[in-house]
Amino acid sequence: MASEPWRQGSREVYDYTEGNGYPGDQQSLRLRRVSSRVSNQNYPQFDWNPPPAEKNEEGNRGQPRDLRGSPLPMALKRAVRQVQQMQVPVVSSRESWKRKKTKSLRKFKDNARGCRSFFTLWSKSLQKIGGNFGGGVQSYFLFLRFLVVLNFVSFLLIAGFVLIPSIVFRSVGDSLVNSTGPKECMDYDPNPQGLVVFYNYFLNLLSGTGFMEYSYLFYGYYNNTTVEDRNFYNIPLAYLFTAIFYFAFCLICIIARMGTAARVVVVTGGSAVGNYSMIVFTSWDYGCLGDRATKLKQKNIHYRLQVDLEEESIKKRAAALTLCQKIVLYALRVSMCFGSFGLIIAAFYGIFVATDFSQKRSGEQGILGLIFQYLPSIVITAGNFLVPLLCDQIALIERYAPSTTVIVALLRAVFLRLVSLGVLLFTLWSQITCAGDTKKKDCTLCQYNYKLYPCWETRVGQEMYKLTLFDLLINIVVLVLVEFPRRMVVDNWSSKLAQWVGRQEFVVPANVLGLVYGQTVVWTGALFCPLLPLINTIKFVLLFYFKKITLFYNCRPALKTFRSTTSTFFFLVVLLFGWGLATVVMVYSLAEIHPSMGCGPFRFFPSMWSIVPTSFYNLSEITQEFLFFIGSQAFSIPLFVLSCVVMCYFITLASVYGKSVAMLRAQLKLEGRDKQFLVKQIEELSRQHQLLKHTAGAHD
Amino acid sequence: MGTTASQLGKDLLSEYQELTFLTKQEILLAHKRFTELLTKDEKDLPNTRVPAERILTLPELKSNPFRKRICHVFSTSEQKDGSLTFEDFLDLLSAFSDSATLEIKSHYAFRIFDFDDDGTLDCGDLEKLVNCLTGETDETRLTTEEMRQLINNILEESDIDKDGTVNLSEFQHVISRSPDFVSSFKIVL
Repeated sequence: MASEPWRQGSREVYDYTEGNGYPGDQQSLRLRRVSSRVSNQNYPQFDWNPPPAEKNEEGNRGQPRDLRGSPLPMALKRAVRQVQQMQVPVVSSRESWKRKKTKSLRKFKDNARGCRSFFTLWSKSLQKIGGNFGGGVQSYFLFLRFLVVLNFVSFLLIAGFVLIPSIVFRSVGDSLVNSTGPKECMDYDPNPQGLVVFYNYFLNLLSGTGFMEYSYLFYGYYNNTTVEDRNFYNIPLAYLFTAIFYFAFCLICIIARMGTAARVVVVTGGSAVGNYSMIVFTSWDYGCLGDRATKLKQKNIHYRLQVDLEEESIKKRAAALTLCQKIVLYALRVSMCFGSFGLIIAAFYGIFVATDFSQKRSGEQGILGLIFQYLPSIVITAGNFLVPLLCDQIALIERYAPSTTVIVALLRAVFLRLVSLGVLLFTLWSQITCAGDTKKKDCTLCQYNYKLYPCWETRVGQEMYKLTLFDLLINIVVLVLVEFPRRMVVDNWSSKLAQWVGRQEFVVPANVLGLVYGQTVVWTGALFCPLLPLINTIKFVLLFYFKKITLFYNCRPALKTFRSTTSTFFFLVVLLFGWGLATVVMVYSLAEIHPSMGCGPFRFFPSMWSIVPTSFYNLSEITQEFLFFIGSQAFSIPLFVLSCVVMCYFITLASVYGKSVAMLRAQLKLEGRDKQFLVKQIEELSRQHQLLKHTAGAHD
Repeated sequence: MGTTASQLGKDLLSEYQELTFLTKQEILLAHKRFTELLTKDEKDLPNTRVPAERILTLPELKSNPFRKRICHVFSTSEQKDGSLTFEDFLDLLSAFSDSATLEIKSHYAFRIFDFDDDGTLDCGDLEKLVNCLTGETDETRLTTEEMRQLINNILEESDIDKDGTVNLSEFQHVISRSPDFVSSFKIVL
């Protein structure tokens, strides 16, 4: 390793000064390095003869790699390189080919990295944000950028496989199944009758009804055409498989991104509060630009150190609590937990009532109708705003350690947001399918409530579309009506109240939950509203710029920083929760609910999934047999056993690495003790030597 | 071999690319910014050495609390005054670049934090380090009691061989556990 030569050199300069009789301040166990007058004393002494073992291992890798990573000044590196180039006398042609190959590979990688940095979105803005507001806020924007790219790529996927073929094959191709159902079920007329008032267009845009309903935006417009003559393309099958692949693709992207973050978290063993040496050695951000950012960072670090030291003393005090005080504290915590759950359940009930009401009054026109349509979204947003505030107040009473409080608050907010969405979906479901009971009056004919929902998929798509738009509108409204005025009031009105309220702080966890919620809504709605990923991409891009503006103009940085790498991992875990919810919805809609008979590509199938068996039998014999084989036990059991074996191997490997780290650490301790032992021996010997000299001198 | 005023030779450029972690664009940008620091007559001399005060006017270094230590560590001058040639400047940027390895970053971080240049971080070094991190003004300094507790905690956590100081390998052990170090130990022009 590159540091070894330095240590070799430094060992040569060690001098044990204890024998010279420095009084007092020399602790006998300390090894001091004498500051030699050699001018390059601090420079690593490079070992000109590389050890043979190292040469065999690393010599083939390309010695220039070694040189870049060696901590020498440029002149020395150049000299070493010249020596190395002279030292390569007889190299077999295979060796030189290998070396040339690694060199060109490295050049190619460098060029690729240069190209990639050219294409990365918003890298300069992110650097500026990180320098001025720290890693925690930057991790929010990085997460937002990841979601933008994910949504855009998913849109390209959907456009390529569903949208464009639908447009191209709209008039061509025949219907897949030519059966008919009861006439009432097929009665679906989305186009409005007669003259439409002007402002209705705007209302239609916001709610996805009217001219927007019967368009490529929603499920109802797609036909169940299949094109047979020149190119075989089965649109319903493509629709289904694209939806499934979209979910799988998002899962793979999230897990891949989690992989890098998780690896780091596992290596560091989580972030322990009070890890002082980590804070002191690694927390300075050398990318900080400007006096203001530097002072900010310094205040940050100061606050962090103070908080950690204080938490340590709190822990010591908590450990010293009497039994009676402990019981009181725990009783308080349990009751507050129940209190917060009660609040959350009250919010759910409110959402349920609002959704029910909104669906019942869905026929109204005008502004009142718009309000009724948006009622679920309004109640959800109000709940998401109020309940965390109240939970924060509750958390103050609970008196957890500060880091635990943050995590508990986040988990509560996640629970609230995602399950409130779940309640909305549940209400919709109970109305569409008459609470799952197909014997009920409204649902007997078509297996779903055809009176209220002639095309229920479009309706669900519209709900998700409205949620997405409303989320964006609320963000903009809060920005304009709350954050900018707050800054103007605080800056220009110097009263005590204004100073106490202070400038806005950019709270990262709450903002991230907003993103996760928005993405979950999009995932849930993507099956019913194929263009929703595109709308979401545009929404997130707009959100990026709005949040950046509010960050730089209105916010002061948070004093308590959010650790950036573990927080990225946590954001992705929460995103996975949302993905799970959306997958449950999708699987249920595919398998259980009868598709609408009046619209959509699955109109004459008993369920959306049933198109797969139907098309399966159109495949050739060989393909059918092959697919049967893959699904059979003869294939899947060996595959399962093989993957168990591979997993066991990796688990063993991980535990072996962990054990070797612990062993090396113990070895380091032992070496330290050896050093101390040798120093004591030398002291002993030199003392005896002095004694001998003294007595010899006294004799003379 | 030195670098004259306006242009870098092609072979010199490729040599720098091999000996540092910088890409071609980064080297050219560094050359541009370095020559901006030179006075008119210095521009004609090869291998000029720029004094530390002028280096410290660069906006990337101007407000960094470790700026003097950084110049000192990367300087190859005989007088130890922190002056840098262009090649020292490239060494600096290479150690602080995006693609530099953890070993080289931790090595240089150790040398930057070693205020008395004795090869280990003892209590005095740690105290100066913490003061740089929190700011030198009275309101941002830690109290003596807090400082004592902090230094004790640091030594307890990272001093494995219990000699009262943190040496390079103990330092690198702590650094390797930190996920943010590589991304924060970065200076990009």
